[in-house]
Amino acid sequence: MQHCTREELALAALSEPLTPDQDAHLASCGACSAEVGSLRRGVDTLTALPRPATAPAVLPPPAVWSAIAAATGVSATPRPEVLAASAAAGGAPGAPPPPAPTAAAPRPPADPPVDELALRRRARRRWLAAVAASLAVGIVVGASGAALVGRSDDAVTVAAAGLSPYGGSDASGEAVLRVRDDESRVLDVRLTVRPTGGDYFEVWLLDPASQRMIALGVLDGGQTALPVPDGVDTSVFRTVDVSREAVDGDPAHSAFSIARGEL
Amino acid sequence: MAVAHSVPLVAGNAVTGLPHPPEPDDGEVARRFAAGDERALAWAYERWGPQLYGLAVRALGAGPDAEDVLQQSFVSAWNGRAGYRPDAGPLPAWLVGICRHRIADAWVRRERQRRESDAALSSARLQPTGDVDAGLDTAVTDRVLVIAELERLGQPQRGILELAFFEDLTHAQIAERTGIPLGTVKSHIRRSLERLRSRLEVDGAALHS
Ligand SMILES: [Zn+2]
Repeated sequence: MQHCTREELALAALSEPLTPDQDAHLASCGACSAEVGSLRRGVDTLTALPRPATAPAVLPPPAVWSAIAAATGVSATPRPEVLAASAAAGGAPGAPPPPAPTAAAPRPPADPPVDELALRRRARRRWLAAVAASLAVGIVVGASGAALVGRSDDAVTVAAAGLSPYGGSDASGEAVLRVRDDESRVLDVRLTVRPTGGDYFEVWLLDPASQRMIALGVLDGGQTALPVPDGVDTSVFRTVDVSREAVDGDPAHSAFSIARGEL
Repeated sequence: MAVAHSVPLVAGNAVTGLPHPPEPDDGEVARRFAAGDERALAWAYERWGPQLYGLAVRALGAGPDAEDVLQQSFVSAWNGRAGYRPDAGPLPAWLVGICRHRIADAWVRRERQRRESDAALSSARLQPTGDVDAGLDTAVTDRVLVIAELERLGQPQRGILELAFFEDLTHAQIAERTGIPLGTVKSHIRRSLERLRSRLEVDGAALHS
């Protein structure tokens, strides 16, 4: 069967369940399971980071604010009762703070008291609201396309196609269409096979109704990102085609397609 | 939205029962913070200082290191307030990002000290070793690199990862909660994990070479 998509493999790295078919493939495919394994290092590291959801708030000693005030020259002061209320909202004020999770330190108790759990849940909900709010802001800014205020140039995926073997080849892969902030489009193409030498692979968009084609560019290595010309309607030119081309100087399609998929 | 409303209530005087002076909401605190209003630094500390200190204590244990991290986080946030944009997300999320950096710095410092004392012990028998960074513990450098890369991710990528990792939400739950299409959530998760992988493989190798 086909390889898992990179999205599926990323979810597998997060230990999210896949379909039984995908699980079966993953268990038997060295390439796919190696991909999951290579993503695990980042996943494990992220999992080990301190996070607001699990770290109860702790009342800081007064000396910390004194040091902040001295360093910044700010004369306003936090109100102790409000500070204490914030600490209580996210943890038990005055309770002994948990030990550091180092090998040398004693382990924290496995089951914290019920009260503390409830307080942590409250802190967690608060935090969740803040993170979700930050995403909502991101969506609004992104959707309006307004002011590129230092936003990353990460493009948003708008369509994807699994590429299946064509014409008796064993090539498969995927194509992902993304739109950048400046509305330009790029097609990411990944293929499982490489040219054998003396030939190269080229990526096309095909209108299945009229059989007209647009050449996007050479698939260099197993993976490449190709710009999609402005004005190309990808709902019409919606078939991604990869052809095997001889190095013969002929710019036309060789008629040897090796993989295809629908956006 | 009941959850979001609980934030200013908790931060205000609801708990103490004192008469309520007009309390700015979190968004107003963030705007005044960015504008350099000194009261906003105190308000931010009242509201989010304990949460940040809790993070530092969880990462470093209670004591001078965690206190330094909290102090440095608020001082760098204040000095770097021009870099905070209220339209790019809530102030507490930005503060936590800074706090994670300071925590990472503290981890590196500790690891370096550990290496130095190891080196001091071994130099009694052998020649002194040169660069003590050369053998930084892989887990420590990975955490430092991941924290740095997390900050480089734009929104919504970073927020999606935070929901997945720090809130244990599945991609379907993230899509539901944020309104971002399922396919887009999956694509962002995939791309972010691949970025982390390259960062760890390339820079991790450089740090350990
Ligand atoms: Zn596979």
